[in-house]
Amino acid sequence: KEQTRDNDVQQGTKVLSLELNHNRDVDRIHGNGINTLDIEVIDGRYMLSGGSDGVIVIYDLENNSKKPQYTCKAICTVGRSILMCLHVIRHVHKFSVETVQWYPHDTGMFVSSSFDKTLKVWDTETLKPAEEFQFDGNVYCHHMCPIARKHSLVAVGTKDPKVQLCDLKSGSRIHILQGHRGEILSVRWSPRYEHILATASTDSRVRVWDVRRASGSLFTLDQHNGDKSKASSEAVNTAHNGRVNGLCFTADGLHLLTTGTDDRMRLWNSATGENTLVNYGKVVNESRKGLKFTVSRGCSPEFVFVPCGSSVAMYGLHSGQLITMLRGHYNNVDCCEFHPDYQELYSGGKDCNVLAWVPVLRQPDIEDDETNSKRGGAQAAINPAFEDAWSSDED
Amino acid sequence: MNRKRALIADTFCLTKRRRCAADSVTGDSQADGAADIRSSLKYLVTLFSRKLFNDSLPPVVLKHQLYSLHNDKTAVDKQVNELRENGELLMFQLGFDSEAFALVFAEDYRAKVLQGEAGRGTLGTVEKFLAKLIPSCSDLSFNKEKMLKEFLFTDSEITQLVKSGVLTVRDAGSWWLSIPNSGKFIKYFIKGRKAVLGMVKKSKYGEILKTELEGRRTTSQVKFQMKYHIHDIIGAELVECIQTTSGTLLRHVDGNVN
Repeated sequence: KEQTRDNDVQQGTKVLSLELNHNRDVDRIHGNGINTLDIEVIDGRYMLSGGSDGVIVIYDLENNSKKPQYTCKAICTVGRSILMCLHVIRHVHKFSVETVQWYPHDTGMFVSSSFDKTLKVWDTETLKPAEEFQFDGNVYCHHMCPIARKHSLVAVGTKDPKVQLCDLKSGSRIHILQGHRGEILSVRWSPRYEHILATASTDSRVRVWDVRRASGSLFTLDQHNGDKSKASSEAVNTAHNGRVNGLCFTADGLHLLTTGTDDRMRLWNSATGENTLVNYGKVVNESRKGLKFTVSRGCSPEFVFVPCGSSVAMYGLHSGQLITMLRGHYNNVDCCEFHPDYQELYSGGKDCNVLAWVPVLRQPDIEDDETNSKRGGAQAAINPAFEDAWSSDED
Repeated sequence: MNRKRALIADTFCLTKRRRCAADSVTGDSQADGAADIRSSLKYLVTLFSRKLFNDSLPPVVLKHQLYSLHNDKTAVDKQVNELRENGELLMFQLGFDSEAFALVFAEDYRAKVLQGEAGRGTLGTVEKFLAKLIPSCSDLSFNKEKMLKEFLFTDSEITQLVKSGVLTVRDAGSWWLSIPNSGKFIKYFIKGRKAVLGMVKKSKYGEILKTELEGRRTTSQVKFQMKYHIHDIIGAELVECIQTTSGTLLRHVDGNVN
């Protein structure tokens, strides 16, 4: 128990010292902006990316070279390339890919959705779609439940105010969730209860659903917590004073984060729908479609990483304080994804680069290799909060 | 080993640590964990120009001005809510921005309102309203049901309250709590804010040191004290606040045309 607690504290220091790593590169394949990233949860080895050019790329994040400096190679690309044979081109997305996600249980499959109004389920071996769902409007987002055992539903958010649920087992659209009055910009399953789904819409509302129920949503998130006197009458029962375009559950599923075009981010209790009133200040949000942000996992305290313009802003989850801005991209950042095993962050944006933010560790002393390999992490504090300013160097 | 002379490296190390420690104490103008919101509010109240309104307005402070004095916004919100629940502080929705809330000490509010009402026919109704409002109520707006059933006001009394400026119309059948004669305040405030932001924007590179801005001559558009406006623009995050070796730098943020 002592070991794991030490681990957690260490992980906290690791996340606080994230820096753009010059040793780690990711292959640059996309010709147009990168809209979405996903790292598979089983080994944490493969990463998917989807771009505005309709291209999907799979990267291998593991370091197979013996050197600290390495490039994450793209192992396959689903996209338009001159060398590809014609029958594959037929399957490629015609317009921008907005969301990609690995199948939660193995890397044999992944799902992508695009502005060409389709959702495609791909076989990783052959890189051909095993299934294709057609919709009436642009597909902004989709999500598969990461812990689902009893169902294999994909929630899809499109221009249509009705949230669609597609079943991967039967290959058909089995359910519609009605309630929203605007486009659905983000959908997210709870990582705690496999039947709970949260959806965010341009009608300023966030609804939480239990998909087993035939009737409407369980509740709507209200930024004023039921106090109808606080805002103007139109703003009653809304989660934000603008379009809600980002959703993210915390790793334990107990809290839900939402971002909106009113430049605010809110933290909610996911069981009761109560606004915890943590004040993050102004979180600049100009995204016309969904905003993809992420929460750290496996460290304490938890942090939120939100793309803000051309940098990634890092906030303390429960304190609301801005810890730092990660600068490195040349253009707007559109998505970011956290790698829990190594406490690293990957971000992608309009400059077609995927950047890796890796915690900076101080080099351990050469003298005593064995003990230092254990203590190396504890000495790696860069953040002044953990700096040792009292013990003498003379021993 | 006994050294007669200290190592040069040691001397340098020590002073560096001491200087760093000193910097963190003097350079830090923000209160620590046990933040006293009340004293910050009192300080901001001194920045409010009473004479401008011929003493008819109570001193008004904006909630986000507190964010420029304290680091932790969530803690500020919590403490402001505590003060409101105790009946010491009143919060108002000003109307020009859904996130801008005005704070007035309850005592000041009562004193000024009664002062303004003296000699008028509506005095009795207003007194009754204040008696209901101040000790326990912390709402920003009231709907008809609440006014009639809970507060036991009649329709004509509600009209009197609106006439006296204590309530303003929000919607059919609901009213905002408001500060009488605050129209002028809002007008000068918005104009002044725009002018100060313009000053920052027009500076070379779109940025200016806070101390330099405080010393600048105010144009006729800016009726309040410069510091009052500076706390406002920092707290509302209309400018980016950057710590430099010469003090705080305020940088104009693109996309903020207020």
